[in-house]
Amino acid sequence: MKILRNAILQAIAIAAVSAVVGFAFNAFSRNGINPFKMPVKVPVAAEGSQAGEEGIRIIDLEEARRMVESGASVIDARRKDEYDEGHIPGAILFDYYDMGTYRDRVLAVLSNESEIMVYCSEATCEDSELLAKELYLLGFTKLLVFKGGFAEWSGAGLPVERGDL
Amino acid sequence: MKMTWSQGAHPTAGTRDGVHWIFNPYLLLAFRLLLAAIFIYAAVQKIGKPLAFADEIHNYGVVDYGAPLYIMAVVLPWVELLCGLALVTGVAVRGSALILLGLNAMFLAVIAKKTAGYVGDGTPFMKVYFDCGCGFGATYAWKKLLEDAAYLLVALALLAAPRHRFVVSIRRRSS
Repeated sequence: MKILRNAILQAIAIAAVSAVVGFAFNAFSRNGINPFKMPVKVPVAAEGSQAGEEGIRIIDLEEARRMVESGASVIDARRKDEYDEGHIPGAILFDYYDMGTYRDRVLAVLSNESEIMVYCSEATCEDSELLAKELYLLGFTKLLVFKGGFAEWSGAGLPVERGDL
Repeated sequence: MKMTWSQGAHPTAGTRDGVHWIFNPYLLLAFRLLLAAIFIYAAVQKIGKPLAFADEIHNYGVVDYGAPLYIMAVVLPWVELLCGLALVTGVAVRGSALILLGLNAMFLAVIAKKTAGYVGDGTPFMKVYFDCGCGFGATYAWKKLLEDAAYLLVALALLAAPRHRFVVSIRRRSS
């Protein structure tokens, strides 16, 4: 019984220290969030749904191509080395895991009036959707996620830009 | 108050005391290091990615988006990390074991629930394959369930052991 009581006390202490360290780290982290001010739901519309809806909409290659041609803002959510090797023409680099480096400079050139297309490596990566959610939380509401990502774009033989913009 | 690195009052505990072999001090030490390695690695994969981790928790369909989910995403990886460090250093071994017992029971329950959902949709049990959000990537559900059940038993052994060796014990000085 004494063993269990000690274990419970130790567990409470570990949980308390974890909470303090976790919140402190989160406060200074580049990817930190405010758990109390996050929206309860980010609307995500499936591929093929109607344009013009607020929130995140999943788009296919054809619509991604139209977006690029129409001059919509394009965000590349991959790492810098992947971006430098090749990206969709006009795409702005915004590494999802390095928010602190890119957030201010990217947000400065984005507008809530026009649509913003986000992509990452390939259909299985989730960083484009996560970044789109992050942008939604920052107030951008016309967000498109090109699910096929750079792999589908380059695989289709569409134009690719190399190096930093 | 005095902190000492203790090898235990009875170094032969588990061999001559009639205690079950599972409580052999060296086996318990191996259990501690095993759990510590797994949970420290898992924690490092999640720390600093609260939004991604929140999505992974949400995918289980147990907790909806909101403050409780985001608080879990911020704090849970640190609980795993601190438990792992505690097991390695020998500080609060039983407390860590208790937390990891609870966490593994929770992981087992939610993975079983998600697996049951896939099986209900027609996927054969042995073919259910998904990323549990545990920090180790996608794997077969049956494999993950077996792993978590093993970790649960290891945590239970650490919690129930009569005594541990290689631990930091805090003793009050008698006046």
